[in-house]
Amino acid sequence: MMSGFETIVMYLGMSLLVVILMLGGAYILGPSRPYAAKHSTYECGVPLLDPSRTRYDVKYFLVAILFLVFDLETILIYPLAVRYRELAAIGWGAFFEIFIFVGVLLAGLVYAIKKGAIEWD
Amino acid sequence: MDDWLIAIIKVVGIWVWVLLIAVVMTWVERRGAALIQDRPGPNRAGPWGLFQPLADGIKLFTKEEIIPTKAQKLLYIIGPLLFSVPAFSAYAVVPFGDKIVLGGKEIILQVSDVNIGFLYILAIGSMAVYGVILGGWGSNNKYSILGGLRSTAQMVSYEVPLGLALLGIVFVYGTFSLRDISLAQQGTFLGFLPNWGIFKQPLGFILFIVAAYAEANRVPFDLPEAESEIVSGYHTEYGSMRLGLYLFGEYVNLVTISGIIVALYFGSWHMPYIDLGAYLGPISWGIVSFCIFFLKVSFFLWMFVWVRWTLPRFRYDQVMGLGWRGLIPLALFNIFITALFIQLTV
Repeated sequence: MMSGFETIVMYLGMSLLVVILMLGGAYILGPSRPYAAKHSTYECGVPLLDPSRTRYDVKYFLVAILFLVFDLETILIYPLAVRYRELAAIGWGAFFEIFIFVGVLLAGLVYAIKKGAIEWD
Repeated sequence: MDDWLIAIIKVVGIWVWVLLIAVVMTWVERRGAALIQDRPGPNRAGPWGLFQPLADGIKLFTKEEIIPTKAQKLLYIIGPLLFSVPAFSAYAVVPFGDKIVLGGKEIILQVSDVNIGFLYILAIGSMAVYGVILGGWGSNNKYSILGGLRSTAQMVSYEVPLGLALLGIVFVYGTFSLRDISLAQQGTFLGFLPNWGIFKQPLGFILFIVAAYAEANRVPFDLPEAESEIVSGYHTEYGSMRLGLYLFGEYVNLVTISGIIVALYFGSWHMPYIDLGAYLGPISWGIVSFCIFFLKVSFFLWMFVWVRWTLPRFRYDQVMGLGWRGLIPLALFNIFITALFIQLTV
């Protein structure tokens, strides 16, 4: 009896195989006539002005950290959501759990916004 | 052994089918753009330019593969791979029809009906970020890096509302299996509406579709490749099939997203008001359900084109503002309302 995950692994394998075949096909079929200008970094036709590894905004890191927090908490609600109907039949306990959880999440979001974590200017 | 054969046929068949829709989609997009902008569009290769995708494919295959001297080789090569493999694989848990009975054997029209379908979609969907950021960083070009950063920040920001919007559906149906959710959408809701997810999660649907557009980097959220600002974003330095994989992965993503929208919110293979399955034989119902599902998917695919040529692009601060100040609080509110509603009606 199959559990269904074998099929998913096969599907993933198929994707990987075809992608490698496509890249391999392009490698074999494409010409190769290299020269220095062709392999230089693209800069709208003019010589490279400054290195690409410049400093960039710390906001990107803040967003990444906020994402980690919120995505983790989203995943934590999922198990509760699957069983919610059965829990709701027992009483209001599960609802208040959700209420508090979402409330804490919302408070965190408001704090982050008030602190200017996602202010892009 | 029989199970394995069916599984292999389904895997190969659906993989190719999704790819085929994506190929035709590249043509639909260009012809649709032409239709909306009142110009002919690609019309040279074959009737109505139908062989244009084929010509594009041949061209991509026969172009020279370039690795810029300044690029970080490993990251540059692995980028398109990491982007396209998850994109091509995400359809594995999305249904494409009800079921078909062949030779006394019941075959469900879904590659794999696992009980964690939702988590698989979320997990695979998140993987695409790596391809974008590694490709952008590995190219060692300032436009690529800016595009990669923008794209990553946007994709992670909209993944939260996407996950929260899907959470509403899990609350309503109490399962992670997309087939079970599809089956539960038969009949009518409140006596006069089709029993579709959109009527049970109207706010959730709007949140989902907005977040999905942002996840797919589509207009109006196509800042990672805003041509007027950063050339073409994270794939500026790419050419040949590597570029092809990035572009193509996006179209496959559109097919997957449309499939998820139809399966979760638009009644999957069910026709409104009529239960066709009761009138048709097991084989014909399999084919008809597949066609109904595909028609609904086509509509949402067309909507992607429609929106692209109708709406202007957001500014970056507007994108982030919409995500964090608009969608996430609304998504949390949606969960709260859904939980309250279930509590009151259970």
